[in-house]
Amino acid sequence: MSTDTSSDTSSGSSTETSARRDDREPAWLLVTRREIVSRITDKSFLIGTALMIVMIVGFIGFTAWQDEKTETATLGATPEAMAMATAIKDNAADVDDKLKVTLVELDDEDAAKTALREEDVDAWLHPVDGGWELTSESSEQDSLTDVARVVVRQQVLADNAAGVGSTVQALEAGSTVSTDFLRGDAEKAGVAEAVGFVFVFLFYFSALIFGMQLASSVIEEKQSRIVEIIAAAIPLRHLLAGKVLGNTALAVIQLLVYLAVGLVGLSFTPYKSYVPSLSGPTVWFLGFFLAGFVALACLWAVAGSLASRTEDLQATSTPLTMLMLAMFFGGLSLEGRGQVIASFLPPVSAVVMPKRILAGGVAWWEPLVALGLLALFAGATVWVGERLYRRALLQTGGRVSLRQAWSAAE
Amino acid sequence: MLEIRELTRRFGENTAVDHVSFEVPAGQMTGFVGANGAGKTTTMRMVMGVLGIDGGEVLWKGQPITRLDRRSFGYMPEERGLYPKQPIIDQLVYVAQLKGMERTAARAAVAELLERFGLGERTKDHLEKLSLGNQQRVQIIASVLPRPAALILDEPFSGLDPVAVDSMVDLLREYTRDGIPVLFSSHQLDLVERLCDRLVVLAQGRRVAAGTVSELRDAGVPRFRLVLGGDAGWVRDQGGLEVLDLDGTTALVEVQQEGAEQRLVAEATRRGDVHEFVRVRPALSEIYREATA
Repeated sequence: MSTDTSSDTSSGSSTETSARRDDREPAWLLVTRREIVSRITDKSFLIGTALMIVMIVGFIGFTAWQDEKTETATLGATPEAMAMATAIKDNAADVDDKLKVTLVELDDEDAAKTALREEDVDAWLHPVDGGWELTSESSEQDSLTDVARVVVRQQVLADNAAGVGSTVQALEAGSTVSTDFLRGDAEKAGVAEAVGFVFVFLFYFSALIFGMQLASSVIEEKQSRIVEIIAAAIPLRHLLAGKVLGNTALAVIQLLVYLAVGLVGLSFTPYKSYVPSLSGPTVWFLGFFLAGFVALACLWAVAGSLASRTEDLQATSTPLTMLMLAMFFGGLSLEGRGQVIASFLPPVSAVVMPKRILAGGVAWWEPLVALGLLALFAGATVWVGERLYRRALLQTGGRVSLRQAWSAAE
Repeated sequence: MLEIRELTRRFGENTAVDHVSFEVPAGQMTGFVGANGAGKTTTMRMVMGVLGIDGGEVLWKGQPITRLDRRSFGYMPEERGLYPKQPIIDQLVYVAQLKGMERTAARAAVAELLERFGLGERTKDHLEKLSLGNQQRVQIIASVLPRPAALILDEPFSGLDPVAVDSMVDLLREYTRDGIPVLFSSHQLDLVERLCDRLVVLAQGRRVAAGTVSELRDAGVPRFRLVLGGDAGWVRDQGGLEVLDLDGTTALVEVQQEGAEQRLVAEATRRGDVHEFVRVRPALSEIYREATA
């Protein structure tokens, strides 16, 4: 009797279930959404992101302010030095565009010394035997000194040249050394170097933060055994895929925000002329980040699944943190042939190739090959990671070794 | 009906579950008892497909069980905890969706169950903000979502206060009334005796007893208690019986030869008054202790 009832209700509910299954979201998508929603509603994540944006804006703002900042200096001169002081004032902008000079006329030496002591003037210009002297209270007037030196020299040179019936231009003819760089100019190389550092740092930072987060969320599920409920409902492959996709999406979105803030910020600074030439390498960087992050994310998930408590994560993730450190320092320090080799070698290529692209001189096929190799590597870690994760996740009681996880029966 | 046939699982040298067979009939509550490490959890994990099977099989309605079948089962794992930092309604809806429910239906079902367990006001609270008892209630809700085809519950009553035990019992009875088979493990034998239609006892990975509660209580060598008007000392001389206890006018005997108890009653009435002659059935705890000894 009871068996009859059971088969009735059950067959009814199973057809209902299969009807429902069609318009239902796939399991991996549900997992992805939970990962993203639970993370972006997490206060510490939001605060961390906001803090990072403030830091980026602050850093760019500070640099720009440093660059734009103009200095003013008050130059005192007695009547016999007034002509020379006026020349310094008028020519200051040509020598140092951040220095503005104002003039104060002083009656005599005593008045000059008093003015210096009372800080009415920053420096006092006066002629001495065989030249000129700039007296100031301390040695803080470097910019003014530099300007004075150049202007005085020009003035005196011009006077002397006129004395022998020539001109400064004639005397200096043929003495210039001009510069020409095959790989762009020094400032451009400097910008490439700085942006390269930012790329390497961002990759390291994101992969570490999101990797750790991914691993600890795997442990959270394993430790609380909710994974058993999930495993009974959906294939673990979907759980892993959802977690990796969710965290990758979050990492990429966060990175896009940082890069956008950085590039927009940069466009308000004197370096704005470099922004267009940075967008190409930035797009490449995103591509490399995506492939590199997916590869590492699977490994982080494995590190999480090998641990059985949060305390174990330190141990199970050590090989990964080592790898990440190697990528970080490799990305920063490799030069020449080593850099070229590393730019094709996954996963280090994820940071080294974008850096090479920034520096310039990379053939069009090189990033493509490197990205292809990195994608292959990511495919391999996904395959290996999936097997390890699936087997280690449901093993309870202590840490699981890689060998155990690989050979464990399911 | 859920059938477990010759299920076996080894961990290295150790055979955790050794050719265990039993049935969980539809509409009945089957209690799963045994000492720690007897293999209850391992068996349940194999039934749920969370752990691989080394030998034997699990049948659902006479067919080998599939992933889709299992998905329609309610399962409560041994150690529990959901996501501590997520509002309870969100994670319950998530679990229900993973089990194949559509979002709106899942929300409605979750809201109804939360209301029923007295958590209607706290749907937006993070799990970690709830008391342990309330967390357990949330766990129960997670395992009965969606309306399950069968329930596999590992220690569902541990950590529950008496009120929560009662609402859990009511809920389980509701499911068995609808013809759903329920298998649950427990250490609380009084509860098992009160609730269960059937019982399976495991010891060291083997099934040592199985059947309905009365079948099990009747299964052993029959025992009788005899209370007489006068001294019962003569009972010692009766053949085919073993005297377990003798105290003045009262004797407790175990029948070793069929019919010996009938001869005992005849002799007793011949000798004088018989105040009481009754079959003594062992309590479940006694059976359990003997079976697992």
